[in-house]
Amino acid sequence: MAEGRGAAVHISSAIVLVRPDRVPAVTEAINALPDTEVWHGEAGKLVVVLEGPTSRAVGDRLAGIALIDGVISANLVYEQVETVESLGEVS
Amino acid sequence: MTLSRRDMLKAQAAAIAASTVGISLPAAAQPVPGGAEALQIKWDKAPCRFCGTGCGVMVGVREGQVVATHGDMQAEVNRGLNCVKGYFLSKIMYGEDRLTQPLLRKRGGEYSKDGDFEPVSWDEAFDVMAEQAKRVLREKGPRALAMFGSGQWTIWEGYAASKLMRAGFMSNNLDPNARHCMASAATAFIRTFGIDEPMGCYDDFEHADAFVLWGANMAEMHPVLWTRLSDRRLSQAHVRVASLQTFANRTSDLADIPIVFRPGTDLAILNYIAHHIISTGRVNEDFVNEHAAFFVGQRDIGYGLRPEHPLQQAATGADDPGAMTPSSFEAFADFVSTYTVDEASRLSGVEPDQLEQLAELYADPDRKVMSLWTMGFNQHIRGVWVNHMVYNLHLLTGKISEPGNSPFSLTGQPSACGTPREVGTFAHRLPADMVVTNPEHRRLAESIWRLPNGLLPDWVGAHAVQQDRSLKDGDINFYWVQVNNNMQAAPNIANETYPGYRNPDNFIVVSEAYPTITARSADLILPAAMWVEKEGAYGNAERRTQFWRQLVEAPGEARSDLWQLMEFSKRFTTEEVWPEEILDSNPDYRGKTLFEVLFANGKADQYSMDEIDAAYGNHESEDFGFYVQKGLFEEYAEFGRGKAHDLDYFDAYHQNRGLRWPVVDGQETKWRYREGYDPYVTEGRGLEFYGKEDRRAVILAVPFEPPAEAPDADYDLWLVTGRVLEHWHSGSMTMRVPELYKAYPGAVCYMHPDDARERGLNRGVEIRIESRRGDMRTRLETRGRNRVPRGVVFVPWFDASQLINKVTLDANDPISRQTDFKKCAVRITLA
Repeated sequence: MAEGRGAAVHISSAIVLVRPDRVPAVTEAINALPDTEVWHGEAGKLVVVLEGPTSRAVGDRLAGIALIDGVISANLVYEQVETVESLGEVS
Repeated sequence: MTLSRRDMLKAQAAAIAASTVGISLPAAAQPVPGGAEALQIKWDKAPCRFCGTGCGVMVGVREGQVVATHGDMQAEVNRGLNCVKGYFLSKIMYGEDRLTQPLLRKRGGEYSKDGDFEPVSWDEAFDVMAEQAKRVLREKGPRALAMFGSGQWTIWEGYAASKLMRAGFMSNNLDPNARHCMASAATAFIRTFGIDEPMGCYDDFEHADAFVLWGANMAEMHPVLWTRLSDRRLSQAHVRVASLQTFANRTSDLADIPIVFRPGTDLAILNYIAHHIISTGRVNEDFVNEHAAFFVGQRDIGYGLRPEHPLQQAATGADDPGAMTPSSFEAFADFVSTYTVDEASRLSGVEPDQLEQLAELYADPDRKVMSLWTMGFNQHIRGVWVNHMVYNLHLLTGKISEPGNSPFSLTGQPSACGTPREVGTFAHRLPADMVVTNPEHRRLAESIWRLPNGLLPDWVGAHAVQQDRSLKDGDINFYWVQVNNNMQAAPNIANETYPGYRNPDNFIVVSEAYPTITARSADLILPAAMWVEKEGAYGNAERRTQFWRQLVEAPGEARSDLWQLMEFSKRFTTEEVWPEEILDSNPDYRGKTLFEVLFANGKADQYSMDEIDAAYGNHESEDFGFYVQKGLFEEYAEFGRGKAHDLDYFDAYHQNRGLRWPVVDGQETKWRYREGYDPYVTEGRGLEFYGKEDRRAVILAVPFEPPAEAPDADYDLWLVTGRVLEHWHSGSMTMRVPELYKAYPGAVCYMHPDDARERGLNRGVEIRIESRRGDMRTRLETRGRNRVPRGVVFVPWFDASQLINKVTLDANDPISRQTDFKKCAVRITLA
């Protein structure tokens, strides 16, 4: 994705489909990952937001989530790249 | 509290994700109003360019670069979801080693086969390329020219390539890498139904009561469709999933009937199921009597090896492998009766009770069944047979062409259906299922293309594996490769592929976006534009045609494959390529360039630039002066309209999220051959296999025959190759950028812990995998999600630094000529 213009932040969301009996354990496992949050969960479907410095970092993390025991699928929904500058967080 | 821009973006991302699955976020988690507008991103639709599923993607562009993507909620295929490969979608265009100018091997300022790559202008590149093509045409004629394309060609790129090769250069030596991917499926469709591609569609996922996965690891390879399947399984308690694999993988985890069978014995299991259906009295007799015809197939058909190979010499049926002889239900029943549950169990290594559970899914008249397969069936020395065998089951039970009853062939590439199959870029095909060997089909093509009668060649060109052999043998001397990485993907590359590229008599051109191993093996590299750097169209596995616009500029001098094909055609006059007798009887064509007779033919150039939406660029049209994509598409669509291959009008596809052909009066067709869904079915017939003259689909009696090579005392393990979730195909896109290597840094070899222990090998050690053809070093993995049975090893083939295809065998299905990458014998030692 459009990089090379200073440090980047990738912000992404995903839907993770989980076996119903494994929802608490999977939620805990995902929340334990860096820069990764379960925003909401309903009927075995978790809304997850992931952040990272590159597409790859975020993509790897989601691929890792897909392989957690009890996860049936982990699909990307949204990804955007921003420069750190544009977030107004650089002093 | 003020929300930072980061918070706002996260909320936005969460809200979009939640809405795809109909979840309302709690108020605190909802995005600020006006958030989306504040992002200042221009959004447009495009299909994903990775696999054959055909997911819709929204592509967000800001300041000329793709900065965001999300699953298209209006796309029926994926309903807002994209799989993890979606992260690579926009990234693939921005790799640091992207090719931006033509590169020619030179020494002393001139082209030289043993020279080093130097940047050249497009003019110089095409000058040298045309000179080489003309030399080969002069010396040897059209059969010495060939082109190798792909299922990633857009529809108009494949169409332009077909015109240039067949009509321009009068050569049918045109084949796609889809030959390695689904030639077996396509061949079996034509043989069984008379028309290519599935009768059903993805809507079957929401209607089936049972899913049978024949070798398809959908959890990793088709994750979005897997999600639809899983949703159905989890929301309906009665639904069952059977997963047949040669090793346990991620897909096996959800299966109610997880089966691991010995490589190649799917043939025996399928014949057993047919026998089970018959012996338990569950044949749908009305259906079979009205809609099926029984045939017996040729036996002992060989392995597609070179003719002098002992296995070919010994094969009694190799001369006419595709032969089918009319037969009867009784003969079929008698034939499959030897495939008892015990016999199938003995051959496959699967427990009889598992086989019986599986057979019952098909036999139970109250259960709707969707069968799914991809490379496991198609990359098979009996790939056509095994496709036939699954149709046998659906036809015997009448479970076909209605919601939920669906034998469904999945595809691996985004336009494997749309381009190689529908446009017809196989060595024997023309558009809309027509073939070069049929004089009427050639005449129709000549008429639609406004070309002289008798111009098109009638001979079947060289298929993928044959092209490599002919390059090595010096029978093909000019070769143009587009949109694929065959030096990594072809079988037995060290012996049968690489030698042809470096044969001093040959000139090899590769159009590529990145310096893949194939590009680096060429003499001339042409930099290619990719995906949304050009206007495009793909056709997915469920017959859905999808369009996109040019959304960003290609870097440097990179140009689309379409532009390259059309621009190159300007370098040839008809006198240089067509025989004198054709020009004598058609003098109007004299003195014209191939560009004029193929593309500026009064038809493909009939739409003006004004018809292009001013909000989008269009490089090809700007250069050639007419709306290139529209002209080519409308000319191409003429082949199928009124012939059950109808496509909608060009402009419609830029508005909609794709339609499934045949599209008649703007209406798509979800289930073909079924009255009420398919307008081509004769009124009152209910169901009609109209692709066949007798309106009957074929039920074929063919046996289990063993693979070309099996483990023995010297090479004691089965080698199965395939893919993993993290990478896609040869990895030339997904492994491009250096940081992409991190997660799955290299291929590994999966082996059973006991097999490893017996050889004194510990997990993680470097090992040597060796076959009769070559060897490769890699690392040993005995854990992880791919759990192979004893006697089998699995190696993913995406890693360009570890070429497993130096080890694989170039055995292929003698009918479809698709290679079997799933079964050969190897031995493994400490490196």
